[in-house]
Amino acid sequence: MSKFSKNIISRQMQLFFIAAFLIFIFKVFYGSPDTFYLRLLFDLIIGISIFFLLLALIRSENSRSSSPLSLVLNVGILLAIMFFIIMFSDYLLTSIFENINLKLNNPGLVYNVVSVIYVFILVAIISFFLVTLRHFFYLNQTKNTRIYFNTMLVFFILASISLNFFKDESLSFIITTFFVVSVLLMVFNSIRISWIAFLTKKDKIYLLLLSFIITTLFIVNIINSSGENIHSQIVVGFSPSLKQFIQIIMIYGSIYFVVLFFTTLFHLPTAEAYDRKAQEVTSLQYFSKLITEVLDFNDLAETVTDITQKLSGSKASWIIWRNGSKQNSVAARNIGFLESDRISNQILEKINFEQLTSTKTINLKEKIIDGNAENLFSVVSVSPIKTRGETQGILVAAKETGQIFTRDDLSAIETFSDYASVAIENSWLLEQSIEKERLEKELDVAREIQKKILPLKAPGFPNLEIASVFIPAFEVGGDYYDFFKISESKLGFVIADVSGKGISAAFIMAEIKGIFESLSKTIERPKDILIKANEILWQALDSKSFVSAAYGYFDSKENTLTFARAGHCPLYLLRNNDSQEIKPSGLGLGLSDTDCFNHTLEEYSIELKENDTIVLFTDGVTEAKNEIMDDFGDEHFLKVLQSNINLTAEELSNKIIQEISVFSSSHEQYDDITLVIFKWQQKLKFDGD
Amino acid sequence: MAEFSTSIKENGDIRIINLKGYLDAHTAPTLENNFTELINNSKFKIIVNFEELAYISSAGLGVFMAYIENIRDNKGDIKLTNMSDKVFNIFDLLGFPLLYEIYKNEEEAIKKFSGS
Repeated sequence: MSKFSKNIISRQMQLFFIAAFLIFIFKVFYGSPDTFYLRLLFDLIIGISIFFLLLALIRSENSRSSSPLSLVLNVGILLAIMFFIIMFSDYLLTSIFENINLKLNNPGLVYNVVSVIYVFILVAIISFFLVTLRHFFYLNQTKNTRIYFNTMLVFFILASISLNFFKDESLSFIITTFFVVSVLLMVFNSIRISWIAFLTKKDKIYLLLLSFIITTLFIVNIINSSGENIHSQIVVGFSPSLKQFIQIIMIYGSIYFVVLFFTTLFHLPTAEAYDRKAQEVTSLQYFSKLITEVLDFNDLAETVTDITQKLSGSKASWIIWRNGSKQNSVAARNIGFLESDRISNQILEKINFEQLTSTKTINLKEKIIDGNAENLFSVVSVSPIKTRGETQGILVAAKETGQIFTRDDLSAIETFSDYASVAIENSWLLEQSIEKERLEKELDVAREIQKKILPLKAPGFPNLEIASVFIPAFEVGGDYYDFFKISESKLGFVIADVSGKGISAAFIMAEIKGIFESLSKTIERPKDILIKANEILWQALDSKSFVSAAYGYFDSKENTLTFARAGHCPLYLLRNNDSQEIKPSGLGLGLSDTDCFNHTLEEYSIELKENDTIVLFTDGVTEAKNEIMDDFGDEHFLKVLQSNINLTAEELSNKIIQEISVFSSSHEQYDDITLVIFKWQQKLKFDGD
Repeated sequence: MAEFSTSIKENGDIRIINLKGYLDAHTAPTLENNFTELINNSKFKIIVNFEELAYISSAGLGVFMAYIENIRDNKGDIKLTNMSDKVFNIFDLLGFPLLYEIYKNEEEAIKKFSGS
């Protein structure tokens, strides 16, 4: 791209040099052209060369995109150079050419070379002026910028060329007309200078000075070059139209810089306000970038108070943040926490969070001196910071005695507090989603623990068909069941439900597994095992956690089931076409001390008969909910059991799960579902594992 | 999510907490705050009315266990009243009737407090 544009520049410069060379050849052959057509042709070539030079300059100008101030400085420097050229042309050139008048009529090669170089130095300077003025003009883009500027250029050319056509005195008014129109267009095109508005006050003062010097130099150069000196003789001798063109550009320059001078002068009183506005815009841009980047609340609060202080020209700023029922100052800038708290208290005496819906000022009843006794605060502005539709914080800016908050200050703070609210809300939402993610991760861990704790499959045992189903809830309900091979003829089992959910329930589950696994190895009686388990858990669990459990064992020699229940769901026995709820008394584990627990715990024994079905479950089964929050219920459960009494243990468990999932299809599973079914089948031979 | 709310009534030095909706692991902190506040204000005679409670989970039951020791140490008690059969069954299953006094209505519980 840049290579391409460089090529263009050099091509335009080449064309310019070709045109310049043509001019030189023309000069050598014809001297000062005296016929009308020759003069026209000559001016045409000059025009073309200037055109190419302008194009080249515009190209390089666009690719550099220098600041207006540096361009103004360049104009000043070139004007100074031009001033010296014109001033010293008399001395320099007369020393080379003794009689300039003679030379004009009879130019030699040396004179031609010198005059072409001299003129082209001027042309280059003038072209630079024109391109710079054009650049300034284009800074103020409107719909018709190009048309206005090009129209003016056309009149410049007309005013210059017309010198060749209307030599007659009676027709000179045409030349004058073109000239006057040109000047009018210059004035018209110079009056709207808007680019200085965005300069800082310092730059404006600098520009004021510079434009004054430049205007003076323009005028001095115009006067100097219109006199009867060598300079004007050479240029006029070269081409009267060119001389006119140069003068016109100089006039344009002087008009533009006069206007620039006065515009800057009038802008100076408001420069400070502009500075502030500019600061505001930059701050807001900076802040809107920040909203997407900074998500930590404290960092954000610091930035908010920093910008607030700058925006409003306040001495200090902080945020009163509401945290539950307490309020405290955060991100205090340029003020101690002690002082800001004292001011905050005064503010909160006058307004409360709910009432504050827009920015307002409050005069402090009691003026507050800051820590190092430099500032005496007497007035503050307060703006609401809203998150989730509630005023959660108050953005405070404080000014010293003798200062006030202008309407501009307040509107700037108001706008900014809206931005700040959005940013703070964002950071809050992010925190929430991080927290949510953390909880989900935690639940993943809990589910993983639970999966590892539960038996992979039911063990094989003589005379017993075993089926178990476990369906975890999203939040991990804390269900646990297990089988323990006590001896060849005895199979122990446990089913338990830990209170609470999630990771804490999962950890308690792991603890329970350890307890029952070790106790089942050393103690046989279910009652004794549960008493021991309660003893351990009463010590180990916090006061609001407990475990419901049922422990028992099958004896294949005696054909019995012995079990005890510690606060767990009852056991169902299905025999023939009858069902029986077996609910020996017993407190949940970890609810009471050993004495109380021991007194209430009962042990129960059943003599097993062929096809007896024993159903163990957790409350996730009976409390499964449908869309109107009805429970699946004990009765429903029993009914399903009774009407499917002839199924195998596996089939029966599948049937129950199917019924539950139909019942609660439109409701999220809230608790773990655990179901363990034993079927006593004496003909079933244990095939070993 | 299921809704839960509480309201507290005064009756002499007895405080009566009315429960409404679903008391589970997510809503339990509301009730925990009620208990903490009553204990901080040295109100140890507490009646909990279950009339409008639709459901209680094991975590909900845990709330009562968390404070009972402290309250009884201060010669107070938590008495439970107006339970629906469904809610009572949940309490009963765990053996809570052995640990807490459960009454049909507030009057009985108040009488019991003033009697003792």
